[in-house]
Order: sequence, then C-alpha cells, then structure tokens
Amino acid sequence: MPEIIELIFSDLSAQFLSPRKRLFIGYLACAFCIAVLWVCVINRTSLKKGLVMIFAPAVWLSRSSLFDVFCFAINRVFFSFLRPALFTHLTIATIVYQLLHLQVLMPIGALDYVNYWVATSTFTLVYFIFDDFSRFGVHYLMHRIPLLWEFHKFHHSAETLTPLTVTRTHPVEGIIFLLRTVSVQGVTIALFVGLFGSKVDLLTIYGVSVLGMVFHSLGSNLRHSHIAIRYPVAVEKIFISPAQHQLHHSRDPQHFDRNFGVVLAIWDRLIGSFHPSIDKEIRFGLTKSDADFTKSIWSMYLTPFINLFRLLGRLKIHAPKGFERVK
Amino acid sequence: MSKIISLAGFVFAGIMSTSALADGHGNHVYGPFPITLKGYSGDKTNSVSYSGQVGRQLLHNSLKKAIGKSAGLETLNSYFNGSDGDLPILDPVSSDKFMVDHTNVNNISKTNLSGKAYKGDIAGWPGGMSGKKVLASMILRASKVDGGYDPKHGYDYAQLVSKFAMGGVFYHQACDNYLDEKLEAGNKPNNKPYKDGAYYTGKEHSWDEAFGYWGAAAHGATLSSEQNYNIAKKKDMVSADANSDGIVNLKSEMNYAHAYYASAFDKGGKTKYYNTITQAFIDGRRVITDAKGEALSDTERNTIMGKARVICSNWEKVIAEAVFKYAGSVYGDLEKLKGGSDAKAYRKYVKHWGELKGFALSLHTSHQNLGELGRKIDGLIKFGPVVGGVSPSQISINTQRVSGVDDAGNFTFQSASVDEYMLYMLRLQKLMEDEFGVVAKNNDKLAGISNLAEKLGSGESVEND
Repeated sequence: MPEIIELIFSDLSAQFLSPRKRLFIGYLACAFCIAVLWVCVINRTSLKKGLVMIFAPAVWLSRSSLFDVFCFAINRVFFSFLRPALFTHLTIATIVYQLLHLQVLMPIGALDYVNYWVATSTFTLVYFIFDDFSRFGVHYLMHRIPLLWEFHKFHHSAETLTPLTVTRTHPVEGIIFLLRTVSVQGVTIALFVGLFGSKVDLLTIYGVSVLGMVFHSLGSNLRHSHIAIRYPVAVEKIFISPAQHQLHHSRDPQHFDRNFGVVLAIWDRLIGSFHPSIDKEIRFGLTKSDADFTKSIWSMYLTPFINLFRLLGRLKIHAPKGFERVK
Repeated sequence: MSKIISLAGFVFAGIMSTSALADGHGNHVYGPFPITLKGYSGDKTNSVSYSGQVGRQLLHNSLKKAIGKSAGLETLNSYFNGSDGDLPILDPVSSDKFMVDHTNVNNISKTNLSGKAYKGDIAGWPGGMSGKKVLASMILRASKVDGGYDPKHGYDYAQLVSKFAMGGVFYHQACDNYLDEKLEAGNKPNNKPYKDGAYYTGKEHSWDEAFGYWGAAAHGATLSSEQNYNIAKKKDMVSADANSDGIVNLKSEMNYAHAYYASAFDKGGKTKYYNTITQAFIDGRRVITDAKGEALSDTERNTIMGKARVICSNWEKVIAEAVFKYAGSVYGDLEKLKGGSDAKAYRKYVKHWGELKGFALSLHTSHQNLGELGRKIDGLIKFGPVVGGVSPSQISINTQRVSGVDDAGNFTFQSASVDEYMLYMLRLQKLMEDEFGVVAKNNDKLAGISNLAEKLGSGESVEND
C-alpha cells in the first residue's frame, strides 16, 4: 500500500516539478508574468485591479474549476496504474526501426554523412511540426466523429478555464492522446535514426525539447484561462493565440469546430477551420442540450459511455445486396 | 614435479593467507581454506584444488592460438583430447612485461577438453551433432584452412572453437554439473573425501572445480575490473602477482575465459559481474569450510545453492552480454560491407560472427533447456553469416549463407539477404535485453533510439491541448 501511495505522489509532484510537464511551476510563473504584462501594461489596468482580475474568485473557485481539481486527481491515479500497461514510444520506435530494414526506398543510414548539428536541428524541428500536426489531427477527429465527441465533451464541459483545465480529460480520450504521442514519437525517432544513424539527437534545455520549452514559456498555460491574449491577425495566422483557443471553447454555435490547432494555425487554415480571435467576452462550456453532463463528477465520467451505447444503437448496419435476412 | 607444484602451492597459500588477512582482503580471496576432511593425517594445509580446471583453461587458450597458427590436426587434437607428451602452453607465454610460471600444460594437470564437453545436441550448428562432436568437427575443418579462416563459408574457427569451448566445457561443467547435480545432498557429500585418497571433501572439491572453470584469479575480487581485464590481456604484471614473487602463478593469479569477459563488461561501469560471481564463489566456499567436514545441513546446502544460482544466472548474463555485443559488431560490419567489397572489413566481420555464434551456442549448454528461446536465438543467427556468392566479401551480389551439410559432409548454401540479417541482429540484441536482462549492452545498435526516447519522455501525453 505505501508503494502505491508513493507512486501516486511522485506522479503528482512530477506534474508541477518537472519541466517536461505543461503544469511545471516555472511555466505557470511565466504565464502569470505574461498575464500581468497583458492586463497591466497592454490594457493599462492598475496592478491591484489586474491581480484581482487574474485571480478572479469567480473563475478559480467556480464549480467547474473545482471539478478540474477532482478530474486531475482521479486521472493521475488512473494513469499511474494504466501507463505501465500500455506500450511505449520505445517499443514502437524499435519495431518501426526494424521494419525499415525490410524496405529499399529509404536505405538505413542514407544520410549518415550529415553532421550532428544539422541532423539534430532537423529532428528537433520536424518532430515539433509532426507532433503539432498530429495533435491538430486527433483534436479534429475528436470533434468530427460523434463517438469521439462524446468523450471530448468532458474537456469542453469546463465553464471556466484555468491552466488545470488542460488535464480535464476523459480517460478514454487520455488513452487516445497517449497512443498518439507514443506513435508520433516512435515513428519519428525510428525514421531519423534510420536516416541519420544514432548521432541524431534532440536539442534540449534542462532535458526538455527547446521548442517545447519555448512554447510553454511563452504562456501555453494561458490557452486555458480567462486572460484573452490576442496576437496581431498576421501572427494569429501562423501561431494560435490564447484568445483563439478560448474561442474554440466558446458555447456559441458560430464558433463550433474552429481553431483545432495547438501551436501552429496553418493546419486550421488548410482545412478552413481557422478563426481569428475576437474582442468580445466568450462564454465557455457545452450547449443547453448537454446541461446534465456536469451534474456530478460521476456523470461526467459515465455519460460518454451511456451516450456511446445510444449512438451505437442508432447505427443501422445494412447487409450487402443479396445477403438480406430471409423472413 | 607435482610435489614441487604442491609445495609451491603450499608456500603461495601461506603467503596469500598472511598478506590477504594483513590487508583486509581475506574475505575477498578464494583461499586458502583449511583441511576439514575428518581423519586426514597428511601434511596438506590448504584444501583448495582446481589444477585440472586451470589445465583446461590453458588447453583452451593454446588450442585457440594453435588454430590461428595453422597447426596440424594432430597438434590441435592434442590440445582438445589431451596428450601424454609435452603440451606447450601457447597462451599465456612469458614476456619481459609478464612472466608466467609454467610452459607446459601437463606440468599443471594432465587433462583434456573433449572428455568434459557438452554431450547434448546442438541444433544451432549444421549437422545435428552433440556439443563434443561439434567442437571436434570445427577443429577438423579448422585444420584444413589457413589460420582457421574459411572466407567462403564465413567461418573463423579459432573464434568458433574458443567461444563454444568456453561454454560447452567450462560453463556447462560448472553450471550443469558441479553447481547443479553435485550440490545434491547424496552426491559428493561433505563428510567424505571427493575420491579415495583425496585431502578435500566432496563438496569442497565440487565447489573448487566450478571456481576453476569460472577462470578468475583467486585475488581477483580485490582488484578493479580494469586491473582484472589487464591481467587477462597480460598487461598488468603488478596486479596479477598477488604474492609479489615476481612471476604470475597460472593456477591462481591469472584471469581466463568468461571471467575475462566479465571484467571487460564491468569496465564500462554498469555491471559488476566479475565481483558478484567471484564473491559468491568465495562466500559459498566459506560456508562449506565452516561445516568442518560434516555433512552439510539443509540450511547450509540451501545457502550454497543460493550462491550457485547467483553464480550461474550472472554467468549466463555474461555470455548474453557477449552475444549482444557481437550482434552489434556484426550489424556494424554489415553496414560497412554494404558500401562495397573490403577484404579487411570482411575478415573482421567473419571474426565477429564466429565470436557471436560461439557465445550463442554456449547459452544452450547450462542445466536448463532454453526451449523456444533457444530456437529463436538459433533462428536469428542461422548456420552462417551472409556471404557473397561471387566473392565472399562482396556481399552486395548474390548473397547466401550456409544452410546445412550434404551427405559428403560439405556445407550447402541458401540465398540470404543482408538487410534481413541486419534486422535479425537488432532482434537478437532486443532478445538478449528482454530475456536475459543484459545491462552493459556494448555495441548497442538501438542506443540512438533509446537515447531519443529517453529525451522525449512521454510529455503531456494524456492531456488535452
């Protein structure tokens, strides 16, 4: 029993103390500083008023935020046990790397002559882009496929946004995200080691990918907040601003299925789901038809399954011509 | 002559016991241990004896050297089967920097390798023979090619014979016999002499014989892995010469065979195979000695069986580490050879493959049947390396490998793919890691992947964005 408690606590503490995690206190501090600058300097609000606004009790102490805390705790426990049972990026990388030996289009070590810095910079950049694209792709599918949307509602049921909302994830979609991560990492690692040999590396600062650290240090945690930081439209066409992601959480139907991207906005522009930020207060959460979803923590966890079975029941599977059942 | 050796051993034992206790190394030196046999009235004071095993270590070293020097079949067989005549020690030989105390194997022990070779079937070598016959067949073929090197089939017999003999004789005898059957209560009991006229008990000598096969210097556990490695390489006379008599005693001051390989892996700093195994031998021997010539109690026997498990599981890991290392070497060699024919690179490749195959065959010779795992290992390494059909070193054209032997005893070929074989080497490394838990992992061809996987971590994998 003490081992289990130790495991859970070490996992919990890692969420805030490891620079590899989104909720690392250093990134939260950066987000706070950016929020202060935005509210007090750009929007010319006094520091006192600014701080009251940033730490608005109506946001931080809301029922929705309280649910975020519960979800965070429940999910950490759940994934502490589930994570070791799932296959890892190392497993996928090893399998893909082995399979690369059986094809002829990309000979192993074809770019072995390229120097360390070129190979490493290329890997760091390509991984970042590939990772961002796959996050966009999975997020798009979570919205567009009704079966997946039932689980993604869990995240969109938040009516106030705080950095902790990033962890408001149904375990089923958590598993999907996990599979996405290990697949992208595994395939990218295998392809690059196959091409450049084992010299290929990741550019890191304190053991964290340079580009990941830049993204988080520049206020990634403000995506889930009520601080509507906007970029000039020209910039928002390339990088998604916190206000653009907040628009993604809007309960106004005209904002539905917009801004699926994480860092880059180019994916949304490619499929027409791009929407610039707006200078207007946004109400977050689900529509009235899903009002019961947040009735309790348990309804949040169980409703997706109930809705899933209803959806499956509604699916009519037609037998091919000639194979209809004879009455 | 044997009396002189016994006297020298006695003097050495006395010096060792004095110096070892004086420097606090007494608990880390294999012997001397007192006579405990009830009723013994002779003049022996040290019950440790494993000269037969040291003799076999020297036969093995010399046989490998003899193959490399293109010695004839008669000479090779004299090292394999033993001989009444002189059997010069070909390795180690004295040099200005490393003086050894013997030049003739028979002066240490008149013994042989063939009588102790594994008699079970070895499926991983063409011909479906027992371990003993595989070795005899390899020696015969070695005598027919220059320096034991057969480029056409991709065989380096000096390496094949050496690495398989280390397993098929030393590892097999220690872990399938002395530390297995001979630890049973009724087998070689501790309250009786090992054999009529012996001055040591059944269990004492069983344990000593296993230690001799392990091949560590008696004082090896007091040294660093670097020192032990350099002793085996004949580069560190000072560390080897434990009694400071100016000469290396081949019976107790030299590192051989798997003990040498263990020190090589330990040098990397990730493992402690040499000390773990050697210390387990010392601790187990002390338990037997402390029984003072009485039959071992269940508790004592359980203790030494526990030590035996430590020894054999780590010993197996040492062999698995070697398989891992040479699978990586073969992979690297093939990467180079894919670029074009290169006779030097091809020679290295054949040497590495011989080492790989010899070690891999050794894994089959312990007390436990590897079953499906053994078939997997054989299936990945195959009967031979991938060689060129037009010119052996030109592995980009018409590639093939040995597939078996015909009725006339000639090797047959089948087509083979270099890329597929490289993949097999990766799988073999993964298999050694997953099934044997290798840690040193020299020549890890998946290290680049592990390194990147470690650096990327699993990130915010279960979170929304």
